Amino acid sequence: MIAEPRSVGRDARAAVITTLAFVTAVALLPPGSYLALLFAWLLLAFAGALLGISPTRLARRGLVALPFVVAAVPIVFLRNDELLWAGTIGPLSLQVSGAGLRIVLTALLKAWISVQASVLLLALASPPSIVTALRRMRLPDVIATSAGLTIRYLELLRDEARRMLRARTARAASPVGVGRERIGGTIAWRARTTGSLVGSLFLRAYSRAQRIEEAAASRGATGSLSVGTLPVADPRLTLKIAGVLALVLALTLAGALLPRL
Amino acid sequence: MYPQLHIPDGFLSPQISIVLWVATAVLIGIAVRKTSRTDARLIASQPILMGVLGAFIFAAQMFNFPVATGTSGHLLGGVLAGYLLGPWAGTIVMATVIGIQALLFQDGGLLVLGANIFNMGVIGTLGGSFVARGIGTTLGGSRSATILGAGVAAWLAVVAAAGFTTLQLGLSGTTNIAVGLPAMLGVHALIGIGEALITIAALTFIAQTAPDILSGVSAPRKASPVRRLVTGVVIAGGVATLASLFASADPDGLEAVAEQLGFLDAGQSAPFELFPDYTIPGLDGTASTVIAGVLGIIVVIGVLLAFGRIARNRAKS
Repeated sequence: MIAEPRSVGRDARAAVITTLAFVTAVALLPPGSYLALLFAWLLLAFAGALLGISPTRLARRGLVALPFVVAAVPIVFLRNDELLWAGTIGPLSLQVSGAGLRIVLTALLKAWISVQASVLLLALASPPSIVTALRRMRLPDVIATSAGLTIRYLELLRDEARRMLRARTARAASPVGVGRERIGGTIAWRARTTGSLVGSLFLRAYSRAQRIEEAAASRGATGSLSVGTLPVADPRLTLKIAGVLALVLALTLAGALLPRL
Repeated sequence: MYPQLHIPDGFLSPQISIVLWVATAVLIGIAVRKTSRTDARLIASQPILMGVLGAFIFAAQMFNFPVATGTSGHLLGGVLAGYLLGPWAGTIVMATVIGIQALLFQDGGLLVLGANIFNMGVIGTLGGSFVARGIGTTLGGSRSATILGAGVAAWLAVVAAAGFTTLQLGLSGTTNIAVGLPAMLGVHALIGIGEALITIAALTFIAQTAPDILSGVSAPRKASPVRRLVTGVVIAGGVATLASLFASADPDGLEAVAEQLGFLDAGQSAPFELFPDYTIPGLDGTASTVIAGVLGIIVVIGVLLAFGRIARNRAKS
């Protein structure tokens, strides 16, 4: 997993496969395998340290997935097994299930760890090289080409959208006032304003696509971006994949052998 | 803050994630076939248009508007993409957008990416676009009718994606369907209104400002009813087969939830059962489950076609 960060021209297949395998192995760990999850995180932190990312920064990046836990919280209170606590709060009678708590905690930790794995993938390989790697792994050409172009024009169009939003804010089609309690216009009017912004952004994107197409056609493009030469195939790919298998095996063994709570 | 639809890794069981990866891969494969079979000029232009519009959908998701204090309407863009590019190319664009969100922005997981694409890309865009076309044609097929159809479909797409997300979480044991489903559907019925209004407003704006683009981009082609039926049956059959295989692999996920809550008994008192427990009497094992699934789909399509015919006759008279 040691490679030069942001290596555009490199074969990123090993990095992509490692990430997918790691995430899958983590997902396969049974509920309550906190020690195995700790082991998985230590592996990540070690790999991160090799790439120059501090464990605390990595851990903080992992937090983005956590709000999703809202969807899982009900089972803590609605399962009837391994009751840890039951009682009443005001008019509500509540119970806390140990099994439910274990499931939610495990899911949270898995989400947190998996996000960090894909953060490491990005430190290891640039987005275009990930697309190239996926193309080598038989991703259809239409998808690879359109993904490559989406990545290339993403920031440009997002910037355009940001400027349009700022202009809208300046013209007060968004909540105003200290507590943002006063909202301008009716809902339909606000929706129409937003929809018109989306529509005009589409027209800008469309004419940009036409210009790109003309420029590409004038240079003899055939519609696929795969014309360029692929980076040299990683000579140690087989070896690295063997390493990945060992990693997955180690994680699965850790899940099976380490005590669960 | 509302429960969003990009599922992170860890919340779906590996079995369900993999089944949905397979289903998504099959449907995206069909979409790739469909988009590469258009005329020669489009082969050159389509990927460029798709790529740039992928970036457009990404950027358009930033636009939001306040519905009430604390809630804001915003865009997923599936039906919009389907309307502008056609259902199949639109589906590929949405799949690409969702994939990039997972890979580059950690918005949604990697092992569960198949599920996320299935919920938002396939159900939302492919399903949504066909619903939009159906409604548009039934209402007479004018530009404003198709735009209205797209609006209704956009609402439906958001609600359906929320429903599928909750069902998958429930089958994975990470949420309680009886509580989660009404909550998610309720919240997304509201969010969907934002989606619908923005979709209608955006398409109206484009239709008024640049009608030529819209007629060029989304000329509704008429497929023969027979071909449409065959395609429908094939897709539905594939999904049914996958779903029933998965159902036999993990037979009692939903039933376990039902039992827990004590409404399993209530669920069994249906007045008649066509295929008891999804099997054909006299046959047993996986084959029976699969056949029952396929038969079920055919019955559903038959009913839909009958309704469609009635609706069309009404529209004519």
